[in-house]
Amino acid sequence: MQILIHPADEVPIYRQIMRQITHGIAAGHLKPGDRLPSHRELSEQLVIAPLTVKKAYDELELAGFLESQRGRGTFVSVRPPQADPTEQCDQLRESARRFLADAYLAGFDYEDVLQILQEASRSLAAPAEKETI
Amino acid sequence: MTPVLEFRDIVRSFKRGVPVLDGVSFAVQPGEVVGLLGRNGSGKTTLIRIAMGMLHPYGGSASVFGASPTENPVEVKRRIGYVAEDQVLPPGSSIAELIALHRYLFPQWDGDLEGTLLGRFALDPAARIKHLSKGQARQAALLCAVCHRPELLILDEPAGGLDPAARREFLETSIQLLNREGTAILFSSHHMNDVERLGGRVVLLSDGRVRLDEDLDVLREGICVALVPKASASDPAQLERVPGCLRVRPVHDQWHAVYRGQPAATQASLVSTLGANGIRCENVPLEELFIELVGGERGGVS
Repeated sequence: MQILIHPADEVPIYRQIMRQITHGIAAGHLKPGDRLPSHRELSEQLVIAPLTVKKAYDELELAGFLESQRGRGTFVSVRPPQADPTEQCDQLRESARRFLADAYLAGFDYEDVLQILQEASRSLAAPAEKETI
Repeated sequence: MTPVLEFRDIVRSFKRGVPVLDGVSFAVQPGEVVGLLGRNGSGKTTLIRIAMGMLHPYGGSASVFGASPTENPVEVKRRIGYVAEDQVLPPGSSIAELIALHRYLFPQWDGDLEGTLLGRFALDPAARIKHLSKGQARQAALLCAVCHRPELLILDEPAGGLDPAARREFLETSIQLLNREGTAILFSSHHMNDVERLGGRVVLLSDGRVRLDEDLDVLREGICVALVPKASASDPAQLERVPGCLRVRPVHDQWHAVYRGQPAATQASLVSTLGANGIRCENVPLEELFIELVGGERGGVS
């Protein structure tokens, strides 16, 4: 899985990393037990401070998404947590509103939108290729 | 833990009665990264020169590793690496001669690091300083600043005048040093993206004082900007009275107000205080925050 960061985004860099890792876990690009790059590797790869990487990993560990093993590195948890359903639902509603607004602005109707969703769902269900960070 | 660098109530002026620094205090701890921000003329370089022992403060004191940089210049400079935007390197010497001089001055010189950096920067040791590009000269200066493995690296607008690729390479090297040595870094920069990448703490100078001294992430998430139509608040004092207000400035037909707090909570307290709608509160990137905090008033010609 590749991580990309944008310094000028409204979201601080450590949150961008957190979000991409949790999305990676949700989408199956990162599997339980997968090893993440070390603080140092990711810091040099993204050209950001090592403490920023540490902060992202620490928060994800606290939330149960990652586990660090002394001397071995940081890994995706065997059982990553289920997200808070209400918060999750709110976020999804917000994404749905944005998605529909984009679709209607581009001239698609509800039927087209449903078809796009079905296609997307099928491509997610297809076995994800194993990617490395 | 003794700070690697400490400013205590520094006062300095160049014209009588016009202080550039008017009581500046903060400290840098071992291994800490601190970005020094402020507009042109806000005193960043003056402060850095005081830390380097190149200027005396008129009031207050600076200490580096617990010692005075003007009284113990040799001991202090051994443990500091320094790169400035306008750094003058001897134009007639070659890079090899420049490195030989530094190796002679610093007994703890790291020849392996020198070799690594010469290779990475693709610098030709035989090249004369005067024939180097701006980016190459800055790289040579960085090499000389870090190969004695300083405990504190002071970078005064190190990326000034460099193209984006050269700036990124400079940043990459700084971050690798941070990883390898845990060097404390004090850097001044006008490139907010670079400040976000280096992370750590931000000290903002304005009107001769420390306007803000805050962890970068706290700054990004704990401070928001409110846009309020002037129709909703005739007097900026109404906005200043709302708790957490750091600054209000007019921008065309709106007030831009900076508050400590979360956007949603700030918006709610503004709406209830002013009894008005049409207020928008958001977290903003560092560049926008910088402009909101120290930028001038903006408006059309009336």
